[in-house]
Amino acid sequence: MSILSQLNSPVIYLICGCIVLFVALVCVVFAVRAYRAGKAIGMDVTKMKRAIVASATFAVLPSVGILLGVIALSGSLGTPWPWLRLSVIGALHYETQVAEAAAEAVGLPGLSATHMTAEAFTTIALLMSVCIMWGMVFCLFSLKAYTGRLNRPAGTKDSVGKKKNSLSGFGDIAMTAMFIGLVSAYIGSYLGIFASSQGLFSFRGTWLPLAVALVGAAAMWVFLQIRDRRQAAWVDSFSIAGSMLIAMTAAIFLGRLG
Amino acid sequence: MNEQEKQRIYERYLQATHRLGRLVTILTLAMLLAAPFVMGLILHAMPNLGAFWRGFLSIGIVYLISCVAEYLIYVPMLGAGGSYLAFITGNLINMKIPCAVTARDIVGAKSGTSENEIISTLSIATSSLVTILVLAVGVMLLIPLQPLLQSPVLLPAFDNVVPALFGAMACKYYRGNWRIALVPLLVMSLLFMLVPSLTGSTSFMIIPSGAIAIGLAYLFYRRDAAKLDSQEADK
Repeated sequence: MSILSQLNSPVIYLICGCIVLFVALVCVVFAVRAYRAGKAIGMDVTKMKRAIVASATFAVLPSVGILLGVIALSGSLGTPWPWLRLSVIGALHYETQVAEAAAEAVGLPGLSATHMTAEAFTTIALLMSVCIMWGMVFCLFSLKAYTGRLNRPAGTKDSVGKKKNSLSGFGDIAMTAMFIGLVSAYIGSYLGIFASSQGLFSFRGTWLPLAVALVGAAAMWVFLQIRDRRQAAWVDSFSIAGSMLIAMTAAIFLGRLG
Repeated sequence: MNEQEKQRIYERYLQATHRLGRLVTILTLAMLLAAPFVMGLILHAMPNLGAFWRGFLSIGIVYLISCVAEYLIYVPMLGAGGSYLAFITGNLINMKIPCAVTARDIVGAKSGTSENEIISTLSIATSSLVTILVLAVGVMLLIPLQPLLQSPVLLPAFDNVVPALFGAMACKYYRGNWRIALVPLLVMSLLFMLVPSLTGSTSFMIIPSGAIAIGLAYLFYRRDAAKLDSQEADK
């Protein structure tokens, strides 16, 4: 029996499937509790439904991208393990890197079914689990204290009796600023790849990610214009997914030029 | 129902969220760590712990630092329920964070409020369920879908999911916030052009980029607040 047949055996599917099912149930429980709590504290049900619809439509396209990650890893690690990793805890851009690095660490020349052994697989699987579990570990030990500190009302006294600065209203601005910082880092990296990845300021690197980002931005601008001019608030629920779809379609055509 | 009663319900909800969150986190961690050993029993090949420690020392430390940064940055955006779920389900940068931020903006929830906590949890739970569903269907249809999804024609589209996402998000968040966005965008662009090897550590570069943006936002916030105060004093 080949290693891939062993890694794709029904019992491995069963182990991974049980964990995925457990996490799906956790999501349902958290969603139902949040919805009920929102109703109980008098939140607008329409707003909660809009958030659910927007999140569901938003998630479809990135999920298809994540599915590609499963397919990419399934050639060397079988299908059930990458399916579990990318459904639970893992991240598309981390998993492939960690799997590659883990394969090298256990002495394989690279991540491929040709060199894979059962022992190498279980070691890689353990390494993948441990490397990316720290977010959960921090949540376990410090999330309550951390969110408690963040949500302490401005102007109140802290545990040592110091009065906090009155910065009510800055929290939202800080969150938006943090997100702007995050987006700027990624856009800057696309520019860096284009300008210098093949030699400093040679402008011979791939321009596709930068072009796709620009098309996504242009599509979003059109959606925002429609929303503002036609007073169509519903556009918000689909604007990100729509912009991504347009940008990804553009990537197919732009990819041929590159 | 008065405000005090609502506050009491919300406090109870938060306490229960932490209890439940910790419980499911422990269970998920236990299952994820046990899975390689259970598979080892079935395959008659337990993990090689010597190789595991060597691997952990070479790559695990890097991801440990990255996880610390992610935790500190993302928890304020996600709230309690959202954080437990997001760190269990993963795919934060390419899905959960943009998804929660978008949902929060659509309903106009303010950070640190009960509304933000509820919307963030709903958003992350929904997006996680969609991913789980898409992956489950995809895995079931893997053989018929594989040629389509891996066709060279569609490959550039799926290779560029993240640039498509961040392009759209950039337009949405830069619009109306240019004075905050311009400097981090310029600094990051210059840095990545001058030190191209940094493109392999983009997730770390979020920290200085975010710090610049927050610093500028704070300066503008203080300046605007001072202006508003002096205008009120003039009246």
